[in-house]
Amino acid sequence: MSMIYLDNAATSYPKPEDTYVFMDRFFRSHGVNPGRSGYDLCMEAGQLVDDTRRQLTRFFNGTDPDRLVFTYNSTDALNLALFGMLSPGDHAITTTVEHNSVLRPLHHLSQYHGVEVDRVPFDGRGFVDPGDIAARFKPNTRVVAMNHGSNVIGTVQPVAEVGRLCRERGIRFVVDSSQTAGKIPIDVQAMHVDVLAFTGHKSLMGPTGIGGLYVQPHVDIRHTRAGGTGVRSAHPFHLDEYPWRLEYGTPNVLGIAGLHAGVSWLEQQGLAAIEAHEMRLLRRLVEGLRGIPNVTMYCQDDLADHIAVMVFNVDGFEAGNTGTILDVDHNIACRTGLHCAPLVHAQLGLDAIKGAVRFGIGPFNTDAHIEAAIGAVGEIAAARAAKAR
Amino acid sequence: MPIVELNGRPYHVDDNGFLQDPQIWNDDVARDFATTEGIAEMTDEHWKLVRYLREYYLQFGIAPMVRKLCKETGLKLARVYELFPSGPANGACKVAGLPKPTGCV
Repeated sequence: MSMIYLDNAATSYPKPEDTYVFMDRFFRSHGVNPGRSGYDLCMEAGQLVDDTRRQLTRFFNGTDPDRLVFTYNSTDALNLALFGMLSPGDHAITTTVEHNSVLRPLHHLSQYHGVEVDRVPFDGRGFVDPGDIAARFKPNTRVVAMNHGSNVIGTVQPVAEVGRLCRERGIRFVVDSSQTAGKIPIDVQAMHVDVLAFTGHKSLMGPTGIGGLYVQPHVDIRHTRAGGTGVRSAHPFHLDEYPWRLEYGTPNVLGIAGLHAGVSWLEQQGLAAIEAHEMRLLRRLVEGLRGIPNVTMYCQDDLADHIAVMVFNVDGFEAGNTGTILDVDHNIACRTGLHCAPLVHAQLGLDAIKGAVRFGIGPFNTDAHIEAAIGAVGEIAAARAAKAR
Repeated sequence: MPIVELNGRPYHVDDNGFLQDPQIWNDDVARDFATTEGIAEMTDEHWKLVRYLREYYLQFGIAPMVRKLCKETGLKLARVYELFPSGPANGACKVAGLPKPTGCV
């Protein structure tokens, strides 16, 4: 039996065939340094980079493609944003739903750069109340940083409402869309998102090593690095103009090509169709696991405002053990542990039992995959129940 | 170096309770360490796993990957967990006198 891949929240796999084919073709035909020289091939490679800026700006309903900058991934993007927006004496608000891509930069800033950080907990269903964030606003609150969709419990946070509250107070709103970009629509204008961080290798269907930021025209981020831009080489400082302001050195042109192909594929399929497929599979998965007595799921009671990511445990069995059996005995790939989001597990009381098992559903999963997963978890749970008797 | 006493015999172990000197391992040592897994009596299946781990370790200097362990012994991993409740790494390898695996088993 071939492997059943349910680790799409870590990275989507496989990618659409279009991504593989386009990357291979583009790298063979245009694998030069884009935007550095004036020969045709270089200009054409640069054109693809600019086309992809426009494509993603459109995709997120931004207005200025120069404000779409490429990074290595979301963590890289969020580091650029948070270190470039916060200064000593500033106050930042985040949540306990966050990935370490937000938690660790903010912790670093709080420990070494005099930034005060508040972390707002989520409620019993896995949602952060915008009112709880607003209640922590202070005169020196500079940034609210939160994720759009949880990489652990799959809940989609009310970012539009948080964005509105931030905009009213002139507080910059940074959103981590790692789990949602390519799964559900994102409109940076309607959601009042000032800075959007995204990664290319998850639901945007690109390869690893490519991500980015969209920075609204009314927002500025200090550059915290410096280097080559390919233009105005005699200038001794890093350029202030976007996109160069936040891009350093030769871009990952192969990654950008793959991201371009991945997003083109998404546009052809339609996000609504992909979301409907994944959520149908999630509902079946949750229903199936709910029928197993000694399986506990977390924040999966109501699948409204949710993406197709869920976590569970077989009672009394460490998550890592369940995951290893799923892998070795059932050929099902998933992720176990704390999922780089330790505060989610801490709030759920799971850190002491080493986290949970996560299934992340992608567009290429099928009904058969889900039934196999339900069956496999059922077998593991039954064995544990028999042992307990 | 911590010392644990099992069935009246003292053993030097690491911080995770793994035997420090793999050379002193024998069947009696295995039975002693099996008590830490709640195994009152080693069955043929226990020995099958332990002997495979032991031989693999002596040949290659590391513990085998879990997939290989299951394939070579013909046991499903779920069964390995029934035999050694702490699992192949923390349970079976400990009884087999291997150092604590860092990522394979």
